Amino acid sequence: MFFDLNIKGSSLDNNLDLAIEASKYGWEHINFSYNQDTFKNALEFRQEMEDSLNDEISFDFTLEIKSTNINDIRKIARKFRNNASCISVVGGDLKVNRAVVENIQIDVLSRPYLKRFDSGLNHVLAKEALRNNVAVELCFNDILRSYLSHRSKVISNFKDIYTLYRKFDFPLVLSSRAESVFDIRTTHDFIAVFKQTGLTVPEIEKSFSTAHDILEFNKDRKNMIFKGVRRVVDEA
Amino acid sequence: MRLKVLPPTLRKNNRYLVIEIKITSPISKDDLVTIIWDACVRFQGEANTANFNLWVMKFFEFEKQDGYYSYKAIVRCQRGFVDDVRSALALANRYNGSRISITTIGLSGTIKAAQRYI
Repeated sequence: MFFDLNIKGSSLDNNLDLAIEASKYGWEHINFSYNQDTFKNALEFRQEMEDSLNDEISFDFTLEIKSTNINDIRKIARKFRNNASCISVVGGDLKVNRAVVENIQIDVLSRPYLKRFDSGLNHVLAKEALRNNVAVELCFNDILRSYLSHRSKVISNFKDIYTLYRKFDFPLVLSSRAESVFDIRTTHDFIAVFKQTGLTVPEIEKSFSTAHDILEFNKDRKNMIFKGVRRVVDEA
Repeated sequence: MRLKVLPPTLRKNNRYLVIEIKITSPISKDDLVTIIWDACVRFQGEANTANFNLWVMKFFEFEKQDGYYSYKAIVRCQRGFVDDVRSALALANRYNGSRISITTIGLSGTIKAAQRYI
């Protein structure tokens, strides 16, 4: 079960190229991420993509909120909650990281270490992420596009997050954030890289199933009345 | 005088990786050797790369796709270091100012069996 929740979406042709390449390399599901300004336009060519891909690979769209204003993030998340299969927020700012892990409507805190000298997470945020079921996302592209000391620092930040993950067991998601066909690797290569950074194979597999669980949970989200109570349609 | 060939029990065990290369400018086999060694030394360091027993066995050119040149190659590495090599290769990003992508599409114990991935 190989799920990638964050492939950078752009034009229809580029998306199709990425999807075909991902399918060739063993991915089973990908999510194209768009920011709050382009997300609605992206939904318009969903049908055309489905027809072109012909069930070769399943795909969906992630809303990637990029803002440093906490109130804006809250408003955008509420506005798009019913349309998006996954809502992620780009982290890096400590206030944003904190607000996101405290918001149960958001699925993923993407790259909390972005443009920082530390991992952007501590024990307080880790506990909140676990309580509100907000996953923390680490991107393969951040290792790929950096080099030398900067790459070492990114991997060092990953290792700090792994330490917290092992202690607090918050949801962890690994994704590629590929922008072109040059950024996509086979699933085995993807696993090998994260193994080298210090994760174990069961932990990597769990991160894929976490991504799957997020999508499954969101399919049923409209039936959730509040936490722990779900409307059922004669399941017995 | 040539060295005597080692008995099978003393030989190193090899694995053969089939890699797919996409690059925006054309490359030769020698370029690929440089790319592979650079990638491994950069990501794994000199001391670790010494264990890998790297060798480019075969190199295949394919037709140019839209926007990039496509190649495949069979690369030898030592058994037990496959993940180290494939992660180092996967993290190759640029060569002489061109975008490059290397990914492992097959793994085998013999060259003959590796050729079915080509």
